[in-house]
Amino acid sequence: MDALSKLPDAMDELLDGFMTHAIVGDTTVGLTQYIFWMFVAIALLFVVMFVFKKKQAQSLVPQGFFVNGMEYLVEFTRDDMCKSILGDTWKKHFPFIAALFFFILFNNIVGIIPGCHPGTGTIGVTAALALVSFVYFIAVGIKRMGVLGYLKSFAPKGLPLPMAIMVWVIELFSTFLRLITLAVRLFCNMFAGHVVMGTFAILASLFFEPLLQSFSVAALGGAAVSVFWVLILIVIYLVEILVAVIQAYVFTLLSAVYIQLVEEDE
Amino acid sequence: MGVIGYGLGVIGAGIGIGLAAYGATTSMARQPEVQGRLFTVFILGSAFVEALALIGFVVTLIA
Repeated sequence: MDALSKLPDAMDELLDGFMTHAIVGDTTVGLTQYIFWMFVAIALLFVVMFVFKKKQAQSLVPQGFFVNGMEYLVEFTRDDMCKSILGDTWKKHFPFIAALFFFILFNNIVGIIPGCHPGTGTIGVTAALALVSFVYFIAVGIKRMGVLGYLKSFAPKGLPLPMAIMVWVIELFSTFLRLITLAVRLFCNMFAGHVVMGTFAILASLFFEPLLQSFSVAALGGAAVSVFWVLILIVIYLVEILVAVIQAYVFTLLSAVYIQLVEEDE
Repeated sequence: MGVIGYGLGVIGAGIGIGLAAYGATTSMARQPEVQGRLFTVFILGSAFVEALALIGFVVTLIA
């Protein structure tokens, strides 16, 4: 097929569009397109939250689709992520967990809209988020047990000394691994999803192009194939909406689990 | 060459998600009342497995 031979070039162009480009300044000091969309998501989050608070205060009973939907979302965060995992200590950590969840959710949802980029589609933002979560659960651990107590808590009590040292080193390693896995998981999911969607969009347009230039049976065949690509694109788009929510959920849930690990009583 | 490597990597992730779905469906059939809790665990597990495949995909594209 003629159209398939053009794919590698178009793919390179697509990938270039996904690399960070500075809008203002350069990539070290400046505003890249991902950070721009992150600010858009934050602005959207603020607007939605303020409207929600205002509408909620109007009447005692939640009314309408918007207020009920938002209340359901907040309740879902509270019951499913905080209460079920953190137990009695959920009240202390609920603001942090909810902020994390809504920030990632809004970033992912903004990224799904065609023409927009997800703020979480670059490793810088996800690494910062992972670092926040990492520092938070270490701070909680140190506050609860003290520096030495927290360091000791890596190895379970009652082990013979050589064994305890080995377990301690492995646990320390795995704790730092959490930082990397949290960041890379979110980044890869958002990046790969958008690359796959872009690839199918390019395929659809490449196969449709001959029909616009000249009318022939072969061109009609190409256009028929392009309908098939569009169908796949729609399916992947729906899956990506699901992934956007699930990844926000997974990131937050894991943060909650890590907090629970340092909060639990030995 | 990188694309072939990615395809090989996905075999592992495919087996992983298949096993997770198998475990989830059989335990749901045995105990339908824990469906909600199981679904959460299943989604979490698949997200872990899927992340590995996606790391391969992204590394293929970037490197």
